Amino acid sequence: MVQIFAAQVFFICLRECLETSIIVSVLLSFLAQTLTSEADKPIYRKLVRQIWLGVILGVAICVVFGAAIIGTFYHLQSDIFSQYEYIWEGVFSLIASAIITIMGAALLRISKMRDKWRVKIAAALDANSAGESSPRGLRFLGEKYAMFLLPFVTVLREGLEGVLFIIGAGLGLPATAFPLAVACGLGVGALIGYLLYRGGNAGSLQLFLVASTCFLYLIAAGLLSKSVWFFENYAWNVAIGGDAAETGAGPGSYDIRQSVWHVNCCSPQLDGGGWWGVFNSIFGWQNSATYGSVISYNLYCIGVGAAFLAMYSREKKAAKTE
Amino acid sequence: MAILVSRLLFLFSLFLSVAQCVTKTYDFDVSWVSANPDGLKERSVIGINGQWPIPTINVTKGDQLVVNVKNSLGNESTSLHFHGLYQNGTTHMDGPAQVSQCAIMPGSTFTYNFTVDQPGTYWYHSHVRGQYPDGLRGAFIVQDPEDPHKDLYDEEIVLTFSDWYHDHMPDLLASFISIANPSGAEPVPNSALVNETQNLAVKIKPGKTYMFRIINMGAFAAQYIWFEGHTMQVVEVDGVYTEPADAEMIYVTVAQRWSVLVTAKNDTNANFAFVGSMDEDLFDTVPDGLNPNVTGWLVYDDTKEKPAPKEIESFEPFDDFDLVPQDKEELYDHVDYQIQLDMKMDNLDDGANYAFFNDQTYAAPKVPTLYTVLSTGPNATNPEIYGSHTNQFVLDHNQVVEIVLNNDDPGKHPFHLHGHAFQLVHRSADDAGFYDASNHSAFPATPMRRDTILVNPNGNLVLRFRSDNPGVWLFHCHIEWHVASGLIATIIEAPLALQKQLSGKIPQDHQQACRAGNVLMEGNAAGNTVDVLDLQGETSFPSPIPTGFTARGIVALVFSCVAAFVGMGVIGWYGMAPIKAKSG
Repeated sequence: MVQIFAAQVFFICLRECLETSIIVSVLLSFLAQTLTSEADKPIYRKLVRQIWLGVILGVAICVVFGAAIIGTFYHLQSDIFSQYEYIWEGVFSLIASAIITIMGAALLRISKMRDKWRVKIAAALDANSAGESSPRGLRFLGEKYAMFLLPFVTVLREGLEGVLFIIGAGLGLPATAFPLAVACGLGVGALIGYLLYRGGNAGSLQLFLVASTCFLYLIAAGLLSKSVWFFENYAWNVAIGGDAAETGAGPGSYDIRQSVWHVNCCSPQLDGGGWWGVFNSIFGWQNSATYGSVISYNLYCIGVGAAFLAMYSREKKAAKTE
Repeated sequence: MAILVSRLLFLFSLFLSVAQCVTKTYDFDVSWVSANPDGLKERSVIGINGQWPIPTINVTKGDQLVVNVKNSLGNESTSLHFHGLYQNGTTHMDGPAQVSQCAIMPGSTFTYNFTVDQPGTYWYHSHVRGQYPDGLRGAFIVQDPEDPHKDLYDEEIVLTFSDWYHDHMPDLLASFISIANPSGAEPVPNSALVNETQNLAVKIKPGKTYMFRIINMGAFAAQYIWFEGHTMQVVEVDGVYTEPADAEMIYVTVAQRWSVLVTAKNDTNANFAFVGSMDEDLFDTVPDGLNPNVTGWLVYDDTKEKPAPKEIESFEPFDDFDLVPQDKEELYDHVDYQIQLDMKMDNLDDGANYAFFNDQTYAAPKVPTLYTVLSTGPNATNPEIYGSHTNQFVLDHNQVVEIVLNNDDPGKHPFHLHGHAFQLVHRSADDAGFYDASNHSAFPATPMRRDTILVNPNGNLVLRFRSDNPGVWLFHCHIEWHVASGLIATIIEAPLALQKQLSGKIPQDHQQACRAGNVLMEGNAAGNTVDVLDLQGETSFPSPIPTGFTARGIVALVFSCVAAFVGMGVIGWYGMAPIKAKSG
């Protein structure tokens, strides 16, 4: 079984899609609330069409762009990386872990964006109505097509950010791990966005965001641990002068001096890993845990907890001084 | 008068027996010399009396042999094993260190003294951990005035085949039994040799028949051997005469001997190559540039060219199972005692790969096993006193013993039993799995006998012998790497009879060897003389690798889960906090 589902990619897609959905839903509800009269119907329809056009175009560009980058990347990878596979996997996992760690916190603050976007849209529409005084040109175009440009730019920005994020976090994964995870992430993100638009409450959104952030951090912990594991395994392969994975999951496939636990099964590495591979990408499971991989996992979890505590106390202080 | 005559007769017969019983003495000064047998690398090798290759021991059946060994190596201890000699009554002269003697320490001397009462082709070699491939290996030929085949040949020629390493065994062993070699891949030889050289010219005369005594003295590689343009006729294996059998190619594992008759052509028009070809199936990886073959020539005419050997399409060797011993000794059909040995390779908790019989790998006891027999009185029949790592079996006297060997490993292994030749009653094909006593091919009526036998990959063997030779005998794979990684069983045969034979008769120099090496000579495997069932302090050895989660693993897993929950808990608390603040 090849790896066909990358959990981190799924969560990143979910996050980016959610962000976009929130903006779109804000725009749509804004229009629905402001253009209520019968006379506004044509313009309402036109603007709604503009919004969806912007979204679709933005998504299309991102998908093409992302697929091109990932495709190129994997085309190159097969040549360059195979020789030092373990080193690369270690480096990629480390980078992915760092990226998720830094960006994950932002996910918790998405709900704040709704307010931010209401202000932005209102400003844009205000400018539209007061637009007679300004000279025609770019600015006019911008104002006229605000309902197109806003979602388009947003989707493009979020999407490209997502593409880079996915590449960073998914480095070292086989290309086959992407499509399903991307599709699921986008699908679930859109679904949640729709439910929110239909009147989900802020509390359940928050709960959902917190849960998905927790998953992302668990993934990051696993990635860090995996990165350490890959570096150690590289050293082990050098020591035994071959690819340890060739010996299967049994004795000799790991350095017994570093072993904390080892079970002769359930390898996330062999044959794509199956469910153990999924378990590995979400929780950092290893059938052969080393001191390095276990200690790094624990330190990461504790470190992240401490960092959030520090953030909280800083925000509290800031709130007091306001 | 009658008394006088009988006395005279007695004296006369005494004189006769003394005259028949020749004593042959060899003085061996074992030391390092330099050699380059394959022309690829000069290295130090273990020679005798400043020479290498070492001398052939040549005796006649019935001779008393005395070998005075002086160890001048300086940095290694040594011992000599006379491979294939039954040593009936002299098990203490058999040679394995920590089994029937203490190793001969540098600077010490030691005398082997025994009667050779069996004819045939043998060899002698060091029996100290992995030492003989460094050079201490030589032919041991016992002439037989009553050879049943003596009319079939004109001359005899000894051909030793062997593999050769450019590195020293202690270094190779250190990397072989190491955490860095978890798959237990054996070092691959650098060359093959014949008579410890290459491109050997053997001068022969047209029309004559030669008996080639072929010995594989290698460490690891079995060799396919064939003579171009000549058919061999097998007449002896491992000192057992056989009914002559034609063979185009023979497969000689390490430690096996085959005597084959080759009749020279009647003309001298051409010379013919003969080839020894190492069995590359044994090698984990075949290094680039390895020449697995060694070539020699039957030289009819010095002035003619020595042709390069021809390529052969496949290896199709003669099966020694089909041989019939010349004495037609019948199958031992009633088995009194069965030894089952299931062998495998696995790793222990030092990460290295070891070899196992019945899940137990051999490690030498603190007291040489023979001395445990001799110093424990009636307890000597209790297998427990021989330790936890010796794979010991105690046999009663004069029983028919069957060894069932199941090879749970995909490699070929040549097994050797000290002190006996055994009947080969069954040998499975490759991948037959374990021996099934209720379902096997019919046993031969007069099974082939020898002392070193090949077991096929993942196959099995059944051997039978009579326990008529009190002694301590090893049964082991003769691949020197596997000897080092523990593929050894100890057979303690008729210990009480052995005590009668040898108690108080261990020579002074044997005791001296133990004192020089600070090795205990009394008590059980741990050297305990008071309570011989107490094995505390015996040789320690790496333990099996625990399967699954140990306490350490569980603690680590629990800690990881707790850390993850704590970390995620903080994130959740932080993430939900602003909403609470808002609503509150």
